[in-house]
Amino acid sequence: MRDWLKQMMQPVQQVSSQGMSQVDAWFLQERHRFTITGLSRSGKSMLFTSLMTILKYRSEEKYNCLPLLESLPMELVDHMRIEPLPGYAMFPADAHLQALESGHWPAPTEQAYGFKLIVRLRQTGNIKKLLMPYTDVVFEFIDYPGEWITDMPMLGKSFSQWSDSAWAQQASEPQKHYSSAWHAFVEGFDFEQPPTREAVLEVVSEYRRYLQHAKAHGISMLQPGSFLIDGSGFDWRAEGFAPLPAKITSDISHPWYKAFAQHYAAFQDNWLTPLKESTFRETDKQIILVDLFEGLNHSRQHLYQLKETLSHLAETFVYGNPGWFARNVLRQRQIGRVAFVATKTDLIPESQKPALLSLLQQITEGAVAKFADKPIQFEHFLVSAMQTTDSGEHDNALRYTNPAGAYVEANFEPLPSTLKDMESDAHYPVLQAQVPKDHLPRMLNGRGLDRLFEFLLNQEA
Amino acid sequence: MSADTTQRYRSKVTERTINTVQPEADMPAKIDDSTWQPGTEKRSLSLGTTTLLLGGACAIGFGVVSAVEAVLGYFDSYPITATVLGSLLAGFVLCMLTLVGREAKGFMNVNKHLSRQLDYQALEQTSDKAALLASLKRHASSFSAHSYAARCYKTFTQALNSDVSAQEALALYQRTVVKPVDKRAQEVINKESMTAGSLTFISPNHLIQTLMIVWISFRTIRRVAQVYGLRPGTLGNWQLFKVLAQNIAAQSIFDLATDEVANQISGSLTARFMENSAEAVAAGALNVRLGKALMKLLR
Repeated sequence: MRDWLKQMMQPVQQVSSQGMSQVDAWFLQERHRFTITGLSRSGKSMLFTSLMTILKYRSEEKYNCLPLLESLPMELVDHMRIEPLPGYAMFPADAHLQALESGHWPAPTEQAYGFKLIVRLRQTGNIKKLLMPYTDVVFEFIDYPGEWITDMPMLGKSFSQWSDSAWAQQASEPQKHYSSAWHAFVEGFDFEQPPTREAVLEVVSEYRRYLQHAKAHGISMLQPGSFLIDGSGFDWRAEGFAPLPAKITSDISHPWYKAFAQHYAAFQDNWLTPLKESTFRETDKQIILVDLFEGLNHSRQHLYQLKETLSHLAETFVYGNPGWFARNVLRQRQIGRVAFVATKTDLIPESQKPALLSLLQQITEGAVAKFADKPIQFEHFLVSAMQTTDSGEHDNALRYTNPAGAYVEANFEPLPSTLKDMESDAHYPVLQAQVPKDHLPRMLNGRGLDRLFEFLLNQEA
Repeated sequence: MSADTTQRYRSKVTERTINTVQPEADMPAKIDDSTWQPGTEKRSLSLGTTTLLLGGACAIGFGVVSAVEAVLGYFDSYPITATVLGSLLAGFVLCMLTLVGREAKGFMNVNKHLSRQLDYQALEQTSDKAALLASLKRHASSFSAHSYAARCYKTFTQALNSDVSAQEALALYQRTVVKPVDKRAQEVINKESMTAGSLTFISPNHLIQTLMIVWISFRTIRRVAQVYGLRPGTLGNWQLFKVLAQNIAAQSIFDLATDEVANQISGSLTARFMENSAEAVAAGALNVRLGKALMKLLR
């Protein structure tokens, strides 16, 4: 009850502390909170950079970009501005653009960044013009390392549950192929010795090596992903842990079990819980980025594993579609609209896109099932933040500049439209397209962002 | 991609180096947000002016010929002068014939345009993007080069890319061409109707009033047609003339009625003011009716 009263009084307190700016915010702002969820290397940073650049050139220079974005009509856009998001470091858009300028892709994200993108629209109605001369459409975006998202499902598991499931995953393809060295290490390790700091560090370091090796080979479900980047707010060297064989986890009095369970609890309490409350807070719209090329680049098994990972990720978020009262008075935030987005789609020919979309739909079936009984609107999209390739000699070919600087034509055999259609012994190597010199026009000619944001912004969708 | 993956799996992508450099992409086109003005097309010397000049030259020429006829005598006697005069006359006749031909062609164009209006219901069902774009292009080919519709169509084509589906292209066409053009036409109609009302209000008698209405009606037709991209000279169209005639008839009947009401009330200035006000409103409304009919025909 006290919490509810506090929530009810929050607007009044805000008005008294912030004055008219808060009143303006109520009447003149249309706020959209986006969670952009994506695994490592799914293209979040590039998507943000591209979106900011395209909107800037569209608003300020009147370039005819994002033609399908009807909710932000060009003729009504007055200006666009970017503001920091309280509690987050500012998204380094300039650094990313400089990296592109020097021919490099933006560096992987190793800490959380945030920003607010505010588009001011002029009013068209005569009376509205007098009362409310403009509307600010506010987008709030948070960029974070993709490695963190895979750890979220660990919040709902005990150490022994997590350890057993991690072992089970490592025992099956495709992880099995990459975990042999780690398994050999565990086989030969003396768990009868006390879990001293040095011994724990030795085990955790070896486990981390396995995680790094598997990540380099396209494995997406790797826990804890936070151990892979030093920007994470958890010291894996001091309080690290690793999955233990069942013979140890079955004995809760075992010193190694006790030590790792303690570290695991600290990981949950000191890292994951605050992380979820800050970075993965509830919002009303969610974009789930999927890099299907990570799977296609390796094998069918990798795609199945990607499907499983996405299904686990969907468990992390609160889905629902609260009514007006719940949303505005009770301040409840639940995700009511979800977009599944396959990124980097400039890396396949136009003719193969229907198959890629079908594959995306199948890969996300497990995640969709998590909110099947709720009034959630969802859609699948193909997006390219930059058009790095050109059309080839025929419909199934593409041209691009490879790392050696050569202009290459790649011919694709037809992409499978379902997982079972993909041959188990075949793969589609991802094109290693370099940053083109003319990256700005190619970014402004990116595909699918207008369709995606129209779905998310349109009130009637 | 690792060597391990390459060894384990068969590649479904083959590559070959081509001996060209990657072409540079163009920046997207900018939206033309300058104010559109009808009839801003500038020519050094229009055909009409040429005709007038030639006509004037003929008149002068014939005048001169008449004046010097006595001196110059007959053709056989003065072949050069007769040849010049003959050339001027031939140019004048040729230009007149061209003008008539253009009017006739314009009339045909209007009828052709009316018979090939876009069938949006059918287009909404199609998933064939190429066929849809061909239909839109065919339709847009009737827009004159400097019209507002042509400018909107250019914006539409600049926004198209390979990623846009047939239905998205149709929605985009409606948003970037149909709606703005209709909106602009509506603005023109409102402005012209206001002018029609104002002129009716200040007209001293019915003859001048009727002439004003006829003039404003033709002007409305011309200006709306300019928005839609049809040449102003091509609107000799019976459907519009029918509406125009109905309007004038309606206005005349309304004049009689308001006169009668004004006589019944009194002959005062107030009654005259009331009568003219009512007629002005009616004239404006009738002009809106004409404009709406025109929009329906040209859409």
